[in-house]
Amino acid sequence: MIENKKFQSAYNFAFLDERTKREIRRKILKAIALPGYQVPYSSPEMPIARGWGTGGLHVSLAIIGRKDVFKVIDQGSDASVNACSLRQFIERMTGCRTTVDTAEATLIQTRHRIPEEILTEQQILVFQVPQPEILRGVERLETRTRSMHAEADYSKLWVSLYEAYVRYGSLMRGAGYPVRVNGRYMMSPSPIPRWDVPNLSDARCLYLFGAGREKRIYAIPPHTVVEPLEFEDVRFRVEDWGATACAYSNARDAFLDEIYEDDSSRKFVVNDSNFLDKLRTGPRPPQRLFRNPQ
Amino acid sequence: MNDMALNSGWLLRVRGLTKIYGQPDGDSIARTGPQASTNICPVTGAIVACAGIDFDLYPGEVLGVVGESGSGKSTLVQLLYFDQPPTAGSAFFTALDNGTTDLFTLSNQRRRHVRNHLLGMVYQNPRDGLNFNFTAGGNIAEKLIMAGSMNVASIRERSSNLLRQTEVPVARMDQTPRTFSGGMQQRVQISKAIANHPPLLFLDEVTSGLDVSVQAKVLDMIRQIQSELGISMIVVSHDLGVIRMLTDRTLVLKNGRIVESGLTDQILQDPQHAYTQLLVSSLL
Amino acid sequence: MARLLEIRGLEKQFLLHILNGKRIAALHSIDCEIEEGEILGLTGKSGSGKSTLMKCLYRTYLPTAGQILYHSASLGPVDLARADEHTIIHLRRTEITYCSQFLQVIPRVPALDVVAEPMIRRGADREAALGRAREAFERLGLPTELWDAFPATFSGGEQQRINIARAVISGPRFLLLDEPTASLDAKTKDAVIDMILELRQSGCSIALISHDAHTMQRLASRRLHLAEGRMEEEVHA
Repeated sequence: MIENKKFQSAYNFAFLDERTKREIRRKILKAIALPGYQVPYSSPEMPIARGWGTGGLHVSLAIIGRKDVFKVIDQGSDASVNACSLRQFIERMTGCRTTVDTAEATLIQTRHRIPEEILTEQQILVFQVPQPEILRGVERLETRTRSMHAEADYSKLWVSLYEAYVRYGSLMRGAGYPVRVNGRYMMSPSPIPRWDVPNLSDARCLYLFGAGREKRIYAIPPHTVVEPLEFEDVRFRVEDWGATACAYSNARDAFLDEIYEDDSSRKFVVNDSNFLDKLRTGPRPPQRLFRNPQ
Repeated sequence: MNDMALNSGWLLRVRGLTKIYGQPDGDSIARTGPQASTNICPVTGAIVACAGIDFDLYPGEVLGVVGESGSGKSTLVQLLYFDQPPTAGSAFFTALDNGTTDLFTLSNQRRRHVRNHLLGMVYQNPRDGLNFNFTAGGNIAEKLIMAGSMNVASIRERSSNLLRQTEVPVARMDQTPRTFSGGMQQRVQISKAIANHPPLLFLDEVTSGLDVSVQAKVLDMIRQIQSELGISMIVVSHDLGVIRMLTDRTLVLKNGRIVESGLTDQILQDPQHAYTQLLVSSLL
Repeated sequence: MARLLEIRGLEKQFLLHILNGKRIAALHSIDCEIEEGEILGLTGKSGSGKSTLMKCLYRTYLPTAGQILYHSASLGPVDLARADEHTIIHLRRTEITYCSQFLQVIPRVPALDVVAEPMIRRGADREAALGRAREAFERLGLPTELWDAFPATFSGGEQQRINIARAVISGPRFLLLDEPTASLDAKTKDAVIDMILELRQSGCSIALISHDAHTMQRLASRRLHLAEGRMEEEVHA
């Protein structure tokens, strides 16, 4: 029996061993130093399958401290199975307090959304990223995409945008709209809706992106300029629901989900569950809104 | 344009351009060439695609490169268009740093700038020059975007003008070139190649594989573009008829070496080298 | 009169590698001069070397030995036998024009454009050049329906008129004329002769080959006779 206290718990704090954490932290620092640049990292095995948020989990576990208050959202919801399991896992591995309140959390792991409520200097948002390579759609070879990034050769991406416009009459790209970070690297903002894209720019919080399967970490430091790709005469636009309002809160100006009922009727509901709760129970939380160009 | 030829000197100066595939030894170049009638080194098996190529190209000039298959003529333009790196040699281009910088010493980024702004290439196979996943307009847009055009309306206007100039129906601008005829694909390639008004254009066997009437149309278009825009061109062809029609001056290549160079009508009517005489006398 | 061209000791041999290195001597030590504004007629039997001499002057043939000193308006004295190719190309575009009896047909280019092209190349306005081309066609009696047609299918006489119109309107300083009237009727022949005389009036010097006595008599200010590649006699017109 080993007496040392260190060996009395089954796992190290936050599951990862300290050397692995240190490696991931180093990569995170590098990512912050080079906004939008994809930093390769070790991506160790986790007790969940790759593709289920391992990248986000690596980042969260590497940076979480005992005083952090943790929140997980999956497509805007705190209550999905995936969000619950991840929250539970982190709670068990760290003993940290968890929350569903966006304002209260210091560390938020997210899949495919940015909370509607403004995030502050006190908060870090960690994205789970399925495909970090924004150029993958136009170039299949990794060696080529790497040199394209290195040389800032993004003409193919622009052409694909031009082609989308020619084919569909608008810059249709539902999620994962390409953005240029700090005037240099083109980046995939993970599949967040266009609605969330303007919130990446000049934010008060730190954004970290982890792609476990693809073994990449990248970051957008606070107050970094992030521009969605657009032409001079064909501009970037966020989703627009017209006069439609949320069926529960009657709110507009939030990302709405379209929900089909069993009787095939449909309604629109605010996607961010914590934001919806707050709308229904108290004053509207602070929010940053983007107005589409005329 | 024509008078500039003498005042401003050369546009492109190529010296000692060499491309060897495989593992050559010190004597591989000496063991190959027209005198050995091969470009494969008998000792090492290295393939000397071209070696010691020297020439100057003048502004507004059309230079022909002839030779049989495997003579190294396509390799020559591919090296100059950075499709592959040369084994040795240098190339100076007055459109870049006034001709003081060797093109082969450029960083990838500057190389791409030269490729997109200062050079144009039309390949024998349209698949090499066009992206068939993009529309015809998108293919041209790629060049325009690389040159900093960020306005869809003006990109589309310029693309349709280019297509009109090369006689591609503008109505087909938003279709992929996959559905086009061979001659039309070639004309889209030419539109793309001249989109940014490059001072130098490479044409690699552009009319091979096209039927005679389409061939005549493409050649006529190239002549027109040349006389209207004054672009310098390097025309690679095994077809002496194409060379006669388009070029002022011609290099004759055999086994990767220049065996003769001169005025095109002199090469065709008074060839000096045994190989050129054979080539000319084989003309239909 | 100033001297335009001096030929000294010009030799041309053809070395035929495909005939086991056989040598054919075409010109032997040719010496002659052409003055500015003169029309030098070259006479002699077929195969006597007249066309070879013309082609040596145009550098379509590479002279084997000797010197062809041409006094260029823009470049000063140039040895056409040795000058580098770019100088020759420059001179061909600006000063020296060669007009053979055969038309080098360019596929799918209409007759008017074929004729206007060299003038446009020399910097003329396209409409002005086409106007001059129409004028020349009219004088040479080329049927109007042919003006916009492709010359590939034209008769020998029609093609020849296109060639002459092309050479004349480009306004050369030195014109090499090889059988300009060979397949033309008497009336057209006279029109061609008149046009050439006008060109000479404007200061152009011309070297002329013609088997037609009438053409030679009306045009040549001086004649040289060639036989078996040698200059035989000088005949004053």
